[in-house]
Amino acid sequence: MDPQNRYENVGWTRKTTTKRVEMTTQETLAVAAPVRSRRRRRGGLGAYWLLVPAIAVLLIGEGYPLVRQVIMSFQEFGRAQQFGAPPEWIGLDNYRELFADAQMWGVVVRSLVFCAVNVALTMLIGTGFALIMLRAPRVPRVLLQVSMLLCWAMPVIAAMTAWQWLFDSRYGLINWTLTNLGLGDFTRHNWLIEPLSFYLVATVIVVWMSVPFVAFTAYAALTQVPEDALEAGQIDGANAWQRWRFIIYPSIRPALTIVLMLQIVWDLRVFAQIHYLQGVGGVPSETHLLGTYIYTLGVGQSEYGMASAFALFVLVLTLILTGRYVHALLKAETV
Amino acid sequence: MSTDTLAADTRVRAGTDRARTRRLRRSTRGRLWGAVAVTIALVWAFPAYWILNGALQPVEALRSPTPSFVPTDFTLDAFGRVLDGDFFASLRLSLSVTLICVALAVVCAFVAAVAISRFRFRGRVSFIIVVLTIQMIPPEALFISQYRMLNDWNLYNTIAGLSLLYVAAVLPFTVWLLRGFVDGVPVELEEAAMVDGCSRVRAFFTITFPLLAPGLIASGVFAFLQAWNEYTLAVVVMEPDNRTLPLWLRGMTTVSNEAIDWPAVMAGSVLVAVPVIVFFMIVQTKMTQGLVSGAVKG
Amino acid sequence: MKLSTMTRAAVVTTVAATLLAACSQGSTTDDPTDDATEDAADEGADEGEATDEAEETDEPAETGGEASGETITLWLAGETDTPVELEEWLVTAFNEETGATLEVQRIPWGELLERSNQALPDPDNTPDVIEMGNTQVPTYTSVGAFEDLSGLLEELGDIGPEGFIEAGTYDGTVYAVPYYWGSRYIFFDKAAFSDAGLEVPTTLDELSTAAIALREAGDDGFSGLWLPGQDWRNGISWIFAHGGDIAVKEGDQWVGALSSPESVAGLTQWQELYAGASTAPQDGKDAEAWVPFNNGEAAMFMAPSWARWSVEETKAEDLGAFALPGVDGGVAPVFAGGSNIAISAQSQNKELAADLMRLIFSDDYQTMLAENGLGPANPAFTELMGDDEFAQAAISAAENAKLTPASSEWAAVETASVMEEFFGRIAGGEDVATVAAEVDGQLADMLNG
Repeated sequence: MDPQNRYENVGWTRKTTTKRVEMTTQETLAVAAPVRSRRRRRGGLGAYWLLVPAIAVLLIGEGYPLVRQVIMSFQEFGRAQQFGAPPEWIGLDNYRELFADAQMWGVVVRSLVFCAVNVALTMLIGTGFALIMLRAPRVPRVLLQVSMLLCWAMPVIAAMTAWQWLFDSRYGLINWTLTNLGLGDFTRHNWLIEPLSFYLVATVIVVWMSVPFVAFTAYAALTQVPEDALEAGQIDGANAWQRWRFIIYPSIRPALTIVLMLQIVWDLRVFAQIHYLQGVGGVPSETHLLGTYIYTLGVGQSEYGMASAFALFVLVLTLILTGRYVHALLKAETV
Repeated sequence: MSTDTLAADTRVRAGTDRARTRRLRRSTRGRLWGAVAVTIALVWAFPAYWILNGALQPVEALRSPTPSFVPTDFTLDAFGRVLDGDFFASLRLSLSVTLICVALAVVCAFVAAVAISRFRFRGRVSFIIVVLTIQMIPPEALFISQYRMLNDWNLYNTIAGLSLLYVAAVLPFTVWLLRGFVDGVPVELEEAAMVDGCSRVRAFFTITFPLLAPGLIASGVFAFLQAWNEYTLAVVVMEPDNRTLPLWLRGMTTVSNEAIDWPAVMAGSVLVAVPVIVFFMIVQTKMTQGLVSGAVKG
Repeated sequence: MKLSTMTRAAVVTTVAATLLAACSQGSTTDDPTDDATEDAADEGADEGEATDEAEETDEPAETGGEASGETITLWLAGETDTPVELEEWLVTAFNEETGATLEVQRIPWGELLERSNQALPDPDNTPDVIEMGNTQVPTYTSVGAFEDLSGLLEELGDIGPEGFIEAGTYDGTVYAVPYYWGSRYIFFDKAAFSDAGLEVPTTLDELSTAAIALREAGDDGFSGLWLPGQDWRNGISWIFAHGGDIAVKEGDQWVGALSSPESVAGLTQWQELYAGASTAPQDGKDAEAWVPFNNGEAAMFMAPSWARWSVEETKAEDLGAFALPGVDGGVAPVFAGGSNIAISAQSQNKELAADLMRLIFSDDYQTMLAENGLGPANPAFTELMGDDEFAQAAISAAENAKLTPASSEWAAVETASVMEEFFGRIAGGEDVATVAAEVDGQLADMLNG
């Protein structure tokens, strides 16, 4: 039994009488979307045609370079090869050298920790802000939303300039404030020289930048929690934690799960902020994360073979970390 | 959201929002949350304010022993210094690349989202896996291949080439976002309208499309941000004279034999941020709706 | 159903066509070369088109005067290092001389290596003539990036410094020649010196004593000598002054020399100076060394000669300069800053590129370099740099200047920030001999490829 056939017939036979050949995209989509969500129609070639633009762009922009990256990861590919020397096939040597490199493992571990801390903070603060938005009266709420929007819209380089000055050791506002609040002598305190402190600064910046996305998504999801459910909870005498745990959280969980996965992916390959901070100060070899390490290997030192091997390793690592979520998402697909 | 319609839901939501607000306004608790919200708003927006503050003062103010929290030596000189031909050339380049990227990404992603949301076909799950995986590729090691590819196709140093790479970079996320969104639009609405005598096309435009708009906008915003902010790839595939805005901005901080004009850098930062903020303000309401109805449905 | 499939196909094709149209529009309506040329104010309005045509022509240039329509590209390193007047002169003179067009592109130092890696091997996008930092050049001579200049050398006249030519030579062939040299010396506040009753130091020891005394006389945060911790380009002067070196070639192997007794002596003196006289951050680099000086937070700083123009007017009256003194007096060997210039091996217009090189080494251009404070490659013009104390400091410092090891792998050392971190650790108070030995091993690994 296939109730969708009904729509199919209605939809397509009507269309065949259409004389116009030129149609807008939207019309195509209207035609292509006559089915109730989730109950997907067994597609003919139509579905494939719709995928053509996306697949073409992905193949060109990512697929082809990725294939070359895989090939390069098995080659000796450095500056000489860039200048025309034939690349030598060296099998797994790049990988062997990479895995024997203690610095590389340091980078991996630091990145994992950095990612975990940043994702956790971002999710907590973002959800917290969303709850505040929900409870605050209109004017403060809009103010908070505008503020979030402002920092979300700040281009990375602009934001980094601001933070560079805030944390500046001689003229920075943060040192001045801490000293004047009597929290100790922060005169000329250097925030970037110790790796841990460097990562603290990076965390502040990354969290500051990522919270708005989480806050907005969580807030949008929260506005969809039925008011009745909340009120029912209140009448039952549930306290705030119980309301969160048993009513609110379950209903925004799907939203948070996807945001969580995205944050893991993004924070694991954080690049721009770290790269910028390394330019400002600190000790680069002790502050590399995955992104900057690949960049230094490839663009910096022209070790493209090694950089490619490492990038592929990072891809695998990301897949492992997000595997649970991807698996859950795929399971939902097959239903 | 499985049974009631989106439109109805939106109305209900708007209603509850209003009721909620009314109740909150009166309560002390509401006022407390309001105070918290305002405090956070100020703290979070502070770095943005600090940039503006720095842009409106001479450089000495930045390096004075006590910070000047408001531009007491107010001057617009810094803006005058950065608003030159280079800025407008970069602005044009950035706008072209970004807008093309947004348009292409939204269209390609939308079409693909419809396919995976509405059809069952061989390779569907594989496509989804590919889309998810591509998002995880670290981009830094792809540059050399991307450069060579564009060069072979005479797309080096062209807006088309750079846009193409940007589209590819944002497409996985936008497909994903829109797919969830298309999933959420019930076809029954459209059909109801058709029963009333609308053509399918009209039904689509009057009923479905307005509901899709937030999703399209949310994905557009994402594409916009990525293309507007990116600067490592732009070094690789564009000639030195063609700088996108972030590179123009960075150029000012890497001068080697003269003083860095920090107020000008900050003025430049403000100028680079303005188009994004304007764009965000325009689409703000729709965008937040889009985030939830789309990304969130999964 | 067949018909419907066809309809769908037709629609999709239309969509695809629209997409393609959007793509091609992107590339044609907004050709980026327009932007580039609009900015070059003094050049002809139709130059943009000329550029486009030239880029499509693959044929090499014919002889000089008949090359109209041809365009060659010159990459200058740094956004402002070569003054604009010099660039304009080159563009005009080149056009008069050859009839061809010279397009000058300025590459920020931070992008230079990355862009060179991409463009130099590529006949379509390579600059024809390229300026490169003297420490970066060896990396490219060894991979065949540059044209052999042996045939041109004689025409270019007397050139130096010798160290720059060495940096541009690989296997006995000269691939890159000196473009200009700069040298580092000490800028000081004459008023601060006279207030403290100090004389201009004549040995390195005296310099340390003076700097420490000034620091102690000043407020908290005041530097006798502003000495950022990771500023290795200035720091290595102390190694050189004591007769040490970064790395030396033994046979065909590079061996780190930072842990030699001479280097350690220099580094120890530098470490004491940093601890006693400088409040600069441990991770500070050589950028903007004049800022604390302008702010009244430092009595001395060490920088290349052009830093003079960044000193504020109020401070400029009392601004003095001296070359870094040697251990036993005289002038210490400092790090020789500056650039080399070369013709790309992939240039499609080597004749025109050679014409440009001749112009750069012409008397007129060498004069302009010297008058703008850039050390001219041709020593005959050095005296045109002037005879005030700044010029004298620059010239005497340059006489003894030294370069980094001429290994083709040196660029890797720079991109990995090895020297920055090394000096940063010493500034942080770590044991000099231990750190030096450790970094020597690292250098040997990297320099020998």
